Amino acid sequence: MIVILALLAIFAGLYMAWNIGANDVANSMSTAVGSNAITLRQALIIASILNFLGAVLVGKHVTDTIQNKIVDVALIADHELMLGFMAALLSAGIFVTLSTWKELPVSTTHAVIGGIIGFGLIEGGMNMVKWGTVENIAASWVISPIAGGVLAFIMFKVIAATIFSSKEPGRMAKNTGPIFITLTLFIIMLSVFMKTKLGAMMGDFTVMEFVAISLGIASLGGIIGFFLLKRVKGKGYDLVENLFRRLQVMTSCYIAFSHGANDVANAVAPVAMVLMLAWKQIDAIYLLAIGGLGIAVGILTWGYKVIKTVGGKITALTNTRGFSIDFSAATVVLVASKLGLPISTTHTVVGAVIGVGLARGLDAVDLSVIKKIVYSWLLTLPASAALSILIYRGLIILF
Amino acid sequence: MPFRAPVSDTYRKKSPFEGLLEHIAKVRECVHILRDGIIKYIDGNFENFHEIAEKVSELEHEADLIKGNIRAHLPRSVLMPVDKRYFLWLLREQDAILDHAENLAQLLDLRHTIIPKEMKDDFKDHMNLVAATVEEMEKAVENVKDLLMTSFSGRERDETKEYIHNVHQKEWEADQKRYAITAKIYEMEDKLDAMDEYHLLKIVDWIDDIADHAENAADWLRAMIAK
Repeated sequence: MIVILALLAIFAGLYMAWNIGANDVANSMSTAVGSNAITLRQALIIASILNFLGAVLVGKHVTDTIQNKIVDVALIADHELMLGFMAALLSAGIFVTLSTWKELPVSTTHAVIGGIIGFGLIEGGMNMVKWGTVENIAASWVISPIAGGVLAFIMFKVIAATIFSSKEPGRMAKNTGPIFITLTLFIIMLSVFMKTKLGAMMGDFTVMEFVAISLGIASLGGIIGFFLLKRVKGKGYDLVENLFRRLQVMTSCYIAFSHGANDVANAVAPVAMVLMLAWKQIDAIYLLAIGGLGIAVGILTWGYKVIKTVGGKITALTNTRGFSIDFSAATVVLVASKLGLPISTTHTVVGAVIGVGLARGLDAVDLSVIKKIVYSWLLTLPASAALSILIYRGLIILF
Repeated sequence: MPFRAPVSDTYRKKSPFEGLLEHIAKVRECVHILRDGIIKYIDGNFENFHEIAEKVSELEHEADLIKGNIRAHLPRSVLMPVDKRYFLWLLREQDAILDHAENLAQLLDLRHTIIPKEMKDDFKDHMNLVAATVEEMEKAVENVKDLLMTSFSGRERDETKEYIHNVHQKEWEADQKRYAITAKIYEMEDKLDAMDEYHLLKIVDWIDDIADHAENAADWLRAMIAK
């Protein structure tokens, strides 16, 4: 019985990972493809590798939140807990399928959290759910797109004020580019070292020492970037966009990495919980590998179609805009990952697009999507929770 | 093939500014053809004028379709970097240029009026000034591309303002020419047939209308790019 349940969990997890690869990755990679910074093939490779790296290196904070901080796992018996996470995973999977079929902008993250809350409520009542954490997570869902928007607004305004307003935009962009590279690498390095296994393996460093190491690596990257950017050719505004096309290769890696750090947990965390209870000990790296594989398969079987469709629709996007969107969304998602907050990458990207639009960076932005996303926020938690309760009841009878 | 692709929902398939530039291209083509036709007309060469009038109507119609398309795809939920009302007023005035061009061509074709020798050059100068007004307006609108690219940088804004200033200058010159021609027509009124005089006065008015709308368009453009 346990083996069947474990296999079922693995399949359900793979299915969730497939969903993430099929739709969510596409939403985060479409900016870079749409502004011709990378080809579809490069997007597939970058997304597969960097999602995996993000999940393995920085994924544990969000995984920890989903496993331990939404319901009080200490108060529930192992068998019920196993079935509960199973139910949450299945309900999220079904809910995401339904929303994909109806083309609703529903987040896989929201669906998983809703599923876990659902079984927690039915198993132990109101007290079983850690409402404080849930409130924080719910707040982060609203804050993350806004933060993405504000950051993108600032980034694009900075680019406009320093580069586009200068007498020699191309030369100015060549000088500013390395700073953006250093900044991006610094944030990534810091996230990789601080409070992670890799950081612990490196030795007993203090926070300030990690900041210094990260800054050193990032500066080195910035210097290399300076010499690479120096060779980029072009005239006037074209040169600026050519330079940012190169920078966008970096930010597309950045967003894939951040996405891996945050969203892979949606699929892997519940599976890890079930398997841990079933077999007492498991190696998390295998699970993350399964998650990464599921995502890669999702991208290859379905995601490329979505990237193609979405990317083809946003051809009006120039590279300075694409860079601002990807950098801002990736930064917000990575910071949320470090805080252990499971958020929606897709919603954050939408926020960043609107931010650039408000900074007078885009010809036209359709804001009607905001209404749809707000509806999806209100709908997803209760619907996914209710579905999870039904499935949990069924599983209790079966097992 | 269902997707959950909210990111793509935020983008419009086509930029409204792209449509605006397509529309101004029609204005450019139309005024160009009209000017050449009218210069011949002033010289008393009415031979192909009917075809020119038809061509002008055709371009006006094509531009109308572009205008309709832009308006139809600008729902309230669309956020633009400029005030949408000013954008639509600019489009409307661009379209008015074509309406008046069509009006002029069609009405001139209904009665082929001989322009008196003494006035031929004045009429040509006037037509050229009016066409120059529209040309400056075209340059101003086409600079929107760079304005959008740089997110309305001061430098590009100044460039657009410079073109707008030129529009006002040319329009003023066209006005002066119009008054001079009108005065000449009144001076010659004893020698002119009443119907001819009426028609000459009308021709000057109709030609000048085009410059007036070019100036209106420039004014809306100025309001549109204001900080």
